[in-house]
Amino acid sequence: MDDIRIVLGSLRYKTATNTDLSIPTPLVQNSKNLQEFDRSVDVNLAQVFDDERQKSTTFRPVCKFQLLFNNSYTGSTNYPPLENNLYYINETTLTIDQCTLNPDSVYWEGFPQYDEFDFIRSDYNVSGYTVPIPSTIPGGISSVHIDFVAKSASTYNWNHFVSYPYKNVNKVMTFYDAVGINTPSLTWNAVDGIPFVIMVTDGSTNSIPLLEGGNHIIQFKCPVKHGLSESEFVKITLTNGYTNTFQVFSFGNGLPGTEEYIFNLFDIGYGSIFNDGDKGTFKRVINYENPNDTTSKYYVIQHKIITDVNDAVLVNAGFEKNIFGTNKKFESPAYTPNNVKRVSIKENSQSYTLSFNKDIDINELRDNQKRPISELYITTVWKGFFGLTFGGVDDNLNATGLQEGFDFNIPIDFINNEPQGWWNINNTNSNFVDSNNNPYPITTYNTPEGTIKIPNGGILTTIQFTYLNSLKNGDTINGNYCEWNDYEQKERVISEMYHKFIFNSDVFDIRSVNDNKPFGYYYQPNRVIKIRGFSDYIETGSINNMADVPDYSYFSTTYNSFIWRDLYTYGFKDGNGNGVDYPFLNGKHYPYENFIFRIIPEGTNYIESALHNYATLYGAAQPIKDNCE
Amino acid sequence: MNNNSYKFTLPKGDDKYINIPIEIKWDFLGQDNAVDEYQQNVIEDIIGFPGDFEVLRFAHAPYNNDTKTDIKYDFHFFSTPTPNQNTGVIEYLVPINPSSLVTTSQSTYWVTSYVPEGFTETEIYYYVKPFTKSFFKLDFYDTKDTITQTNYFTVILPVQQGFTVTASTSPYKPVINIKIPSFKLDYVGDKEGFFLYWLRNRKFLDISKFYMTAKFFDARLGVFVKMTNTPQSVIPSKFRFNPEDYFYYEVRLNYNEKTYEVYYENNGTTTRVGTTSSIKWYEYINP
Repeated sequence: MDDIRIVLGSLRYKTATNTDLSIPTPLVQNSKNLQEFDRSVDVNLAQVFDDERQKSTTFRPVCKFQLLFNNSYTGSTNYPPLENNLYYINETTLTIDQCTLNPDSVYWEGFPQYDEFDFIRSDYNVSGYTVPIPSTIPGGISSVHIDFVAKSASTYNWNHFVSYPYKNVNKVMTFYDAVGINTPSLTWNAVDGIPFVIMVTDGSTNSIPLLEGGNHIIQFKCPVKHGLSESEFVKITLTNGYTNTFQVFSFGNGLPGTEEYIFNLFDIGYGSIFNDGDKGTFKRVINYENPNDTTSKYYVIQHKIITDVNDAVLVNAGFEKNIFGTNKKFESPAYTPNNVKRVSIKENSQSYTLSFNKDIDINELRDNQKRPISELYITTVWKGFFGLTFGGVDDNLNATGLQEGFDFNIPIDFINNEPQGWWNINNTNSNFVDSNNNPYPITTYNTPEGTIKIPNGGILTTIQFTYLNSLKNGDTINGNYCEWNDYEQKERVISEMYHKFIFNSDVFDIRSVNDNKPFGYYYQPNRVIKIRGFSDYIETGSINNMADVPDYSYFSTTYNSFIWRDLYTYGFKDGNGNGVDYPFLNGKHYPYENFIFRIIPEGTNYIESALHNYATLYGAAQPIKDNCE
Repeated sequence: MNNNSYKFTLPKGDDKYINIPIEIKWDFLGQDNAVDEYQQNVIEDIIGFPGDFEVLRFAHAPYNNDTKTDIKYDFHFFSTPTPNQNTGVIEYLVPINPSSLVTTSQSTYWVTSYVPEGFTETEIYYYVKPFTKSFFKLDFYDTKDTITQTNYFTVILPVQQGFTVTASTSPYKPVINIKIPSFKLDYVGDKEGFFLYWLRNRKFLDISKFYMTAKFFDARLGVFVKMTNTPQSVIPSKFRFNPEDYFYYEVRLNYNEKTYEVYYENNGTTTRVGTTSSIKWYEYINP
């Protein structure tokens, strides 16, 4: 304890008088009563179980996938192993052509078999495709596309990993407005906030100002949910450099579902600042007087992979099938190029369960906000080992691999009936990249049949088959586009990450409208398994009492205090459902989740943002439930 | 904490310094925490710590430069080779008196077919209940010593799996394909019994080598048929031999790779089997 010096009142300063003084003496307790002699402890089974549960940091995540896939693209091929194994269309015409024309010049048409997209390939015994046909010439090369290795049945098409949100990174993004979607509306950095296009008038030739309740308004239309609430503020930055903060006036343009995508400012004379078609980005500000703490941050989550390909154990899920059943047909031998009868499967309905041989210890792991991790992700990546996808080169002769984009990049360019410019194979920003922003490597190979010169419009070609190299423990991939607010200590997903793969036109030509923007399939790579819950409430702590302040708390210089959300214990769920309660046995946590894995064809109208923002394009917007329902 | 107030009457003269004695009758905080921790350790010693009894999936180890993973089993049943009266083709029939026949038998008397076990081609083809309820049972022991051994786990191979051969049920009907007790198990196709499931944590039971025996449950008769790794015709003493030599294959687990390999031991030399050469089991005939 420091010495206390008491100064006589009259001596403190001139004219001071003597007064009675009282000294509050703080007694800081840094010791604890020692219980001597006997100690008795009640051992309670439930308490012991809970103690062990809270102490354990090891996880064994398990999940079930229901695969939903509509085989949507027909194409043509002259590559014999694939040509002999399509789900045929126009087979009558092609059979006649096969008889009347040069058989080598006939390109058979159809859908690729479901096995080309399935989680576990079951075409391990297809002669000439996965089982070699010995050459009739002594010492000749056997005819086969891939000599099937049974162990790889579950890794030929897709690879599964466990990952966790590791870091926040910037990413260059582009969004295309529904009006004139073929031209980019804005290319911006994720960290700059959410993009918008301004409307001041109704867009008619008369340029009638937008009104709401008789008030002039300025409308900001966003390709993603803006995440704003009433009475909040927006820090707006226009592409011309203008920046300022405004209070939000209202939401939506009167059409159902637009409230979450459009916000309005009360126009009190900003006419010279905001004009029709102006673009920019905004950041949400909760409290105008405290921008340091209450301005949101925007970023793309980077996931770190913590398992290897062979750690995943993927098996059929008992007898579970999805509701869409199996779509198959009998291919009569007379109507196949090799005169072999078989059954073609266009779509199937098998579900799968996924577990991992490796235990996940989260003790040392911190998430993208430097907090103890509360979520594990099941990351699924298209590998495409059979080489029907990827392939080809862009204008700089770089090989085309997997692409990545966001929810708002998926609606098609309805004017040209082609994918958005984001998916142009020359757009390097859409490459599936590693932590150094380099595309993940791909590998090419040739096959005996593909190496034989295939006549393709009179030109002899050698087919290059391409696949993505498997990711490994320690690799990183990009995840969702998110918003974080220090004041709220809460993360919001603005737009979800999607991957896209296209067909290798040398192998399977689906005749896209634009060669640089071919049609393909999308899927979501990351699926969350919640392993801990953060509290619904926000805790604050004074700098004078640091004892219970967690190391991940945010320090507000404005309030001179720490802010954080508590981590709930395992097994506890609050009234809002925050928290987790899943099995704990063997000293390990067994979190599980059921997922629907969709492989989405181009031009779908199932995308959340498309339903609202582009409602006029695709028809009626999805009904919103009101309080009456 | 502002729970104590002291009041002083001002003295005249110089500044005063006051030392406030605070009596400490307690021990240091850390010492008590140490006792708490010790108490926790004692409780853990008494009631134990949760063991990890989760199992791991062991797959058959790759071979042929890592391109093949299948494991092959061939089960042979004892038969009486008999020439067909009309065609002269040898047919392998149910032995009438197997215990006496086995003493003069040859290894060709054991065939991979369910017919010598008493199932007809029709019963096999039409999957009658006595056939489909039959199965092969592989038991995994920690030692070959029958007195001390423990059967830790069992794998069942259903008869619905396996290769097929052509057979005829009637001269007036087309030939049919019927199952034979010859299995090729892998990640795809027939996979029941391909994986072995065993404890992933070796603290509780640290076993990396099992000894596998085989039996066939004949649901038609309701009996188990024991199997040897060598035809009885080759065994010098048909009924009086060391069980450790003829009833077991050795199964080695690789915990790092999560794989297993099967070995056949003969006169001190071990050979990996189940790969290009199958794991062969032969019906044992009791005296």
